[in-house]
Amino acid sequence: MFTAPILLQLLWTGLAMSSAYCLFAVAFALVLKVNQVWNFAQPALFVAAYYTMFAAWQWLHLPTVAGLALALVFTVAVAMALEWCGFRIFRLRRSASLTYFIFTMVVSQLAVSLAELFFGTDNKTLTDTVMSPIHLVGPVAISEWDMIAIATTVVLVAALWFVMTCTRLGKQMTAVADNPELASIYGINVARCYLHAMVLAAVLMVAGAWLIGTKAPMVPSSPLNQFLIFAVIAALLAGIGRVFAAGVAAVVLSLIQAFSILVIPSRWQIMVVYVLIVVCVLLFPQGVRRKARRKPLPPLPSSAANPATSATLAAPAAANANLPVTTP
Amino acid sequence: MTEYISILLVLALINVALAVSFNLVLGYGGLVSIAHPVFFALGAYTSGLLARDFGVPVPVAILAGGAMAMVCSVALSVPALRVSGDYMVITSLGFQLALVHIITNVEFTGAAGGLTGIPSAFDGALRSPMAVGAAALLALACIFGVRWLMHGPYGRAVTAMRNDEQALASLGRSPMAIKVTLFALACGMAGIAGGFYAHHFLYLTPEQFSTFASTALLTMVVVGGAATTWGPVLGAFLITLLPEAIRFLDMPISVMAPLQGVLFSLLVLVFLYLRPQGLLGGSRAGGGVAAWRGTGAERRAAVEVKA
Repeated sequence: MFTAPILLQLLWTGLAMSSAYCLFAVAFALVLKVNQVWNFAQPALFVAAYYTMFAAWQWLHLPTVAGLALALVFTVAVAMALEWCGFRIFRLRRSASLTYFIFTMVVSQLAVSLAELFFGTDNKTLTDTVMSPIHLVGPVAISEWDMIAIATTVVLVAALWFVMTCTRLGKQMTAVADNPELASIYGINVARCYLHAMVLAAVLMVAGAWLIGTKAPMVPSSPLNQFLIFAVIAALLAGIGRVFAAGVAAVVLSLIQAFSILVIPSRWQIMVVYVLIVVCVLLFPQGVRRKARRKPLPPLPSSAANPATSATLAAPAAANANLPVTTP
Repeated sequence: MTEYISILLVLALINVALAVSFNLVLGYGGLVSIAHPVFFALGAYTSGLLARDFGVPVPVAILAGGAMAMVCSVALSVPALRVSGDYMVITSLGFQLALVHIITNVEFTGAAGGLTGIPSAFDGALRSPMAVGAAALLALACIFGVRWLMHGPYGRAVTAMRNDEQALASLGRSPMAIKVTLFALACGMAGIAGGFYAHHFLYLTPEQFSTFASTALLTMVVVGGAATTWGPVLGAFLITLLPEAIRFLDMPISVMAPLQGVLFSLLVLVFLYLRPQGLLGGSRAGGGVAAWRGTGAERRAAVEVKA
């Protein structure tokens, strides 16, 4: 049973299937990092994207690109509404974290109920067929969907990495994630950064919904009952604030679930995910982190030698000293 | 018609007991647990199975259901609360989905088809009035039990725990012990309500305890007024009777259930925005969601920002 071809096939299939989970986890971790909200309303974005594409393709018979564009516009609008009409208001009211939990969970349930109302509770796929041409590479069967899924995920995650590390917007979002009050003092538009994080999450959700919907059937409650748990565990394992590590964690989790079929029946496969929640909360509440080696600090430039540098360093420090204590 | 009203009344009163128990966790304790309906399910299934398969008398079976829910609640709360209250919502979601999945997939619970053949709590011509009376007793016991508990020294400790754990710990009390006990008490009450439900309605399906049930329960407490004595009671009656009003529209079941979900979710959202204290939570009493003033750190931050 544990032959190399079977193990290789499971590895490949698990890797391909992990692509949508990876996008879901990265989007979840991004909002958790920047907006500092456990966004349990993320399934609502997924549902919005999925059923907009379904309506565009199955009911209106629009071309693929038009359906994707429509889903993108609608999901981004929902994400912006969530931030602008939800999180922003609770932030202004200084609501307790429990209010956010209730709000996000209820928004998800609302989206699921609306989808069940308009589209029914039965399984649906985005395309007429989910069959994809298969190529044999040695003993491993590789479908065209697998390659599209992996390529899409890699491109999107790489693009997000570029945005986060190489653009002004990404650096501003990182600054806001670190300390929103200080970022605001430096002139960064914090509200805009929160909005952009939600928009980026929405884009990832559209891609994730498209990948899932062209591979397997889905019911409206799947994102809430299945994908959300995956994303939460991945975010926990990666540690809060580590967006791309959450993506890697999602891939690892997906592989664990794929390989679990060797030892447990398929109907119990999902239990692996549920058990992992308890394991994560018990053993890795702060995430799995490699102990960082402490690097020696670089010597500070002397103020006498470079007065300009000294002034630049002193300004934020002074601003920092007057800042209020921030919520962890 | 009388039978219909009595069924509705029993359901509303069981929901009162359930909502009051959830209010203990959510309103007074400030702990969000999605999984409360699952403890109701644990009580219902344990009680139903004990009475049906082992011939245990119904009252004993109902109490055993409550005990089972209590024990399982400790298994959930200890790992989740050991770290932080925020992890409670995550672990409880997983716990609920896992338990519903198990109930749906094992044979002895009747699997997805549901558990049938549960012995009735009351028989004979007076079945309905006796059931209404017993349900009313259960609901009143829950309401006044919680009221007595929360208006005493223990209640003050719970409020202190909700508002500032660190301050409570500095006084030598263990917030963790209070949370676990509170959670166990609430889940025990939910389990007993579940047992009563099983022996009155005589049929259980796993679908009844999904995340939709969590939303309905949340609606009862938030709409009525969390952290108040009578808020969840009003909420439970409203949320039980509202779907009945829709039922008269004679819509297919495939439309009814999602429509209820939409209505409940919208109600919670409207109240979160416009009246977070709920219908019965006065602004002076500080009831409702507004009673949660955040952690000590959150409030200190708010004070410093205002200053």
